Amino acid sequence: MSSELLKGFRMLDLTDEKGALCGKILADLGVEIIKVEPPGGCSTRRIPPFLEDEAGPDRSLYHIAYGAGKKSVTANLETADGRAIVTELANKCDFLVESFNLGYLDSIGLGYDALAELNPRLIYTSITPFGDKGPGKNYKWADIISWAAGGMMYLMGEEGKPPIQMSLPQAGLHAGGEAAVASLIAHYPRQSDGLGQRVVVNMQACIVWTLMNEQAMPILHGDHLRRSGVYSGSLGVRRKMVFQCKDGYISSVIGVGPTTKNLIDWVIEKGFGVEWMKTMDWGTWTPGLFMQATPEDLSRIADMENGIEKMFMTMTKDEIYRETLKRRLLLAPVMTEADIARDVQLKARGFFVKVDHTDTVGRMLTMPGPFAKLSETPITIDHRAPRIGEHNEEIYCGLLGHGREQMSTLRAIGAI
Amino acid sequence: MSRYAFEGIHVLDFSWVGVGPISTKYLADNGAEVIRVESVSRLDVLRIAPPWKDGQPGPNNSQFFASFNTSKKGITLDLSKPKARELILRLVPWADIVSESFTPKAMRNWGLDFEHLRAIKSDLIMFSTCMQGQTGPNAMYPGFGQLAAALSGFYYISGYGEGQPPAPPYGAYSDFVAPRLLTSALIAALDYKRRTGKGQYIDMSQYEAALHNLSPAIIDYFATGRTLGPRGNESHRYAPHGAYRCADEGSEDRWIAIAVANDQEWKSMCQVFGVADADGRFSTQLLRIEHRAELDKFVGNLTRGHQASELTAKLQAAGVAAYPVQNCVDLHQDENLEAFDFWHWLEHKQMGPSPYEGLSHRMSRTPGELRSAAPVLGQHNDEVFRGMLGLTREEIEQLQKENVIF
Repeated sequence: MSSELLKGFRMLDLTDEKGALCGKILADLGVEIIKVEPPGGCSTRRIPPFLEDEAGPDRSLYHIAYGAGKKSVTANLETADGRAIVTELANKCDFLVESFNLGYLDSIGLGYDALAELNPRLIYTSITPFGDKGPGKNYKWADIISWAAGGMMYLMGEEGKPPIQMSLPQAGLHAGGEAAVASLIAHYPRQSDGLGQRVVVNMQACIVWTLMNEQAMPILHGDHLRRSGVYSGSLGVRRKMVFQCKDGYISSVIGVGPTTKNLIDWVIEKGFGVEWMKTMDWGTWTPGLFMQATPEDLSRIADMENGIEKMFMTMTKDEIYRETLKRRLLLAPVMTEADIARDVQLKARGFFVKVDHTDTVGRMLTMPGPFAKLSETPITIDHRAPRIGEHNEEIYCGLLGHGREQMSTLRAIGAI
Repeated sequence: MSRYAFEGIHVLDFSWVGVGPISTKYLADNGAEVIRVESVSRLDVLRIAPPWKDGQPGPNNSQFFASFNTSKKGITLDLSKPKARELILRLVPWADIVSESFTPKAMRNWGLDFEHLRAIKSDLIMFSTCMQGQTGPNAMYPGFGQLAAALSGFYYISGYGEGQPPAPPYGAYSDFVAPRLLTSALIAALDYKRRTGKGQYIDMSQYEAALHNLSPAIIDYFATGRTLGPRGNESHRYAPHGAYRCADEGSEDRWIAIAVANDQEWKSMCQVFGVADADGRFSTQLLRIEHRAELDKFVGNLTRGHQASELTAKLQAAGVAAYPVQNCVDLHQDENLEAFDFWHWLEHKQMGPSPYEGLSHRMSRTPGELRSAAPVLGQHNDEVFRGMLGLTREEIEQLQKENVIF
């Protein structure tokens, strides 16, 4: 059963990996998502890795994750009959989201102007790598291109080595999230005046929006940050942000005041402290941030980082995390999927859900559950990602009223 | 027709730092009236974080704070004072949404939690967002997005390879994942309230929200016990795939990102560089993927003499995905962001004109915009306490003397 929150609204999902998360978010909120796939299936079904390394249209982990809760119909947009049936569908929908190359849908009669003329309520959201106006509007795209263009890649990695992206590419997910928000912003006034509109999401801008406080640095402070591995790239003094421990790594925000004091008290307790630490006034000591760091400050920072790392090397991630919670420190274990899977907090909140995939991949699969807990209209996640064209009959016959015979003909001529 | 999507919507915003303010900013930039309630006992830490106007620290000088708080009003109270609470309770009936992002006990301690507020306003929507959610043994965990990003696996999948230290994303990464999810739920809740008259409470754990950007790896682990781990720029689909060094510019090393998906693109790339793949080492996509390390060296030698943006234009003209690895100076000069009208200079009461990120989307009929710069501390005290609550100047002065309003 889906959430009551946006029950009764319907979206046509024409995205690939540039926006699959959009429909997933709206599905979680109760919107009926109809994914339109070309014969042979959407390209997200071919994104590796595959479940148990066995390729197949229902086995891409990306599709399993971000196709969840959606319905699937097939339509061949290269045929007039395929386009006609998608037009019919768009007339029955509240939202359409797409991520084709700019202008493609216009060129086949499925652009905003054509569809809005028939269905003025339609909110038509296009996800683009570089917007719809600039010199890069038709650029070839891959996720790493947006990561580079939006400025996050430059900041990831070590000096002297290449800039990097994450092992699970993120740009398409940010754009999908933005498309969900933007579509709903447009939805709100539409529900009082009945008029939809066109929305264009810019993926490069979405990545710029992950840069926290960096954008204005060159203008206000006269310089930009550089990638610096485990060290803080932030203004002022180089501070170590990630420490090694016995069985992994610990992320640390060495702030000012009481949290630093609490951490150093622990270092002293464990015998890794230095005499000066015991009489330090941590409340006002902010080298490199509000005041120039002196050579003495730098030597103190080295003492602290040295003591912290030595102490951490005597402990596991779990031991450090337990103490972190007790002492209210600004530390976090660098968790792997294994740590996340057995995390007591996620368990206590019932975060993970088991979703039945026996008829597609022969097993139950455990997935991240609701992204938020809503008191009145809870998000429920209980529908696996669809097989290719699984809902052709339900949608084409049930929703659009086509006869079974016509369906067979459409299938025979390759339109669906 | 409304000029803005959320005209007439009122938000009483106690949230601070990243996720909460970025979420309410979506509403504020789209016409909602958002009043940031800032407490002297819990001053938003971003107010004292860089970058600062002219490099000078100060609570009204931070662009970090300003970027996340456009189009909002600001009032200042000491919420630990009973009289401050009284003022807040008089504002609650005005609000459609109350938002907060403290560790869970703060709002309870002030008697401003959902149960208390709902008693005054029965159809209230309220969201709470914190590191790990309102319930569970680790609910009180304090922290920032740097830590939530480590908890939710992003640090683990960032690096050059297993056994090497993480090379994490810059900043508080999860603070920029959660708002898009939270805001979607929030707008949906507003729409639901308009249809049914029912408000509700939204509890978002930044950690849980962020895990949705890692779903494929989580599902894989539960099913097979495999972890993704750090893999540099390795890809199972594209080769070459990565950042390749171009000609230095001054003291700066410059790089270009390239991704090649198939034989045709590979041929086009080789043509741009005027080289042939003579010995056939890289003649198929599978060979290229399997000999990634050698391939990276080969491509790195080709790009080294080129200027990154010129090479981008050539490769893209030949149908090869490429873009310079841009730093923040580049971003402010980027012609695609400029064509999208992304950057804006707004006049801030203390900072004067300063640079703001614009919206990441555009709408044809009811576009949002950065309606005003972020407020300085207490900028709208008079407007709210006198204008909305009808306090007299004398009453306000008295409350200032008692350190209720500051």
